[in-house]
Amino acid sequence: MAAATSRNIAGDRKWHDVYPELGTGPVPIEPYVSREYYEREQALIFRKVWLNVARVEQIPKAGDYLVKELEVCNTSVLIVHGKDGVIRAFHNMCTHRGNKLAPEASGNCPGLFTCKFHGWAYGLDGALRHISDEGSFFDLDRGALGLTPIVAETWEGFIFINMEERPSETLEEYLGEIGAGLRGYPFGELGATRFAWNAEVKANWKVLKDAFQEVWHIPTLHRKSIPNVFSDAANKYGHALEFRLYGRHGRISLPGNFGRKPTAVESVSVRYGAGAIVIKQSESVLPEGVNPMRDPRWSIDGNSIFPNCLMYVAGQTYLTHTFWPLAENRTRWEVRLYYPQATTLAQRFSQEYSKVMLRDVNMEDGSTLERTQTMLASGARKEIYLQDQELLIRHHHHVAEGYLNAGGGAAR
Amino acid sequence: MGEHQLPEQFVGLEPFLDWALATEHERVARRQSAGMPAIRDFYGAMMARIEEILTFLEGYAIEKIPAAVNRLFLLTLSLAEVAPAVELFSQPSVIDGFDFKRFVPVHD
Repeated sequence: MAAATSRNIAGDRKWHDVYPELGTGPVPIEPYVSREYYEREQALIFRKVWLNVARVEQIPKAGDYLVKELEVCNTSVLIVHGKDGVIRAFHNMCTHRGNKLAPEASGNCPGLFTCKFHGWAYGLDGALRHISDEGSFFDLDRGALGLTPIVAETWEGFIFINMEERPSETLEEYLGEIGAGLRGYPFGELGATRFAWNAEVKANWKVLKDAFQEVWHIPTLHRKSIPNVFSDAANKYGHALEFRLYGRHGRISLPGNFGRKPTAVESVSVRYGAGAIVIKQSESVLPEGVNPMRDPRWSIDGNSIFPNCLMYVAGQTYLTHTFWPLAENRTRWEVRLYYPQATTLAQRFSQEYSKVMLRDVNMEDGSTLERTQTMLASGARKEIYLQDQELLIRHHHHVAEGYLNAGGGAAR
Repeated sequence: MGEHQLPEQFVGLEPFLDWALATEHERVARRQSAGMPAIRDFYGAMMARIEEILTFLEGYAIEKIPAAVNRLFLLTLSLAEVAPAVELFSQPSVIDGFDFKRFVPVHD
């Protein structure tokens, strides 16, 4: 496998030959601009599949809760850590007249969620526990009036929900081989230090996803910051070590240019832990799904979890991008970056440098998003053109078409 | 005798104490508003002592930090914040980048 990947970096093999079912033609612009297409995505993708909404570290104790606004499914989701340790999700809606039950983004509820409108109250398990002025209501069946549940499961500390009443697959089945390969990655340990940013972007959610699931733009777009982080003289555009598709999910494995010259702050920062842009892995203790080629040139894997989550995992840090559609031309972009617990203040400085670099690089990426959307919506052209290193972008469209044409659920 | 604001061996950095900011939001705002001469002065003063500073901070665990040590630590976070401005962009902001104000940290 290593021999095959080294040939590919030199450019004499195309990944599209490995996955001929994706085709090589232009990709239509309609999915990026059409309201009708977006409504089909809502109904046939987002309401059908497992969606990654949070990490368990966000609600570590019984009674901890968070609220996830889920515009793409026209609801607000209340996610609660129960007294029995079970994490449950509900529509964040009081049964009485529909007021949003928990208006805050997060908190701890010692026992009862009480609606601030008339005071109906619910247990952490969603059961209706108190009806104010009960004698004035008519024929209520209290047992049937608890919060409306949403199916929730956790995988490696990630909380996923599924809007279907009875999902056709478990979360484990949905994640399949890519999930199995990542099992055992230290997501929990690295969850000790979590940085999080949100941005609302006037662009289709796939414009954002596309931007972060190919890296051959780095020498061009990131020419001032990290032009050669994955590339070097022998691999000018930073071609991947490997692409692999796992049904609806996919992975890009990237080399690191470990010989690049660090800046002054980077070179002091690396001595205290996280502060390198790319870190050479001396000895891999990572699960088999991370750098499965066991290529010594490897630095980071991008795992594309359908439909809207990218999970970049490296040796000592991981980050996720999640793209939440708000409309056909608006997206909430959520970036989460994780490090192990810093044990000293110098280590925490090192993490800060790494974090600032990632954020500034994301600001460079961000410059393209709204400009691209504006021009895609201009109608000037009907198609865009993808090259071999943009395999995951093409793969997304292929998988999405499967859901949209099959009426949802059937695509694998 | 007045208390020093920074650990004694680093009191020479006290002119830069307005960079000792607790949140990313504040550090970004200062990076955006201070102007490059002030950013370069701060960067230069910190980098002149950075080896000693980090050796010193390596001796402190994350919890229960004395106030003076915490101020020094916050200065290093601002150094991390301005590093790309000085080392990569030669201007406070990312060149032609997305607006920092719209990329909102929700971890502070």
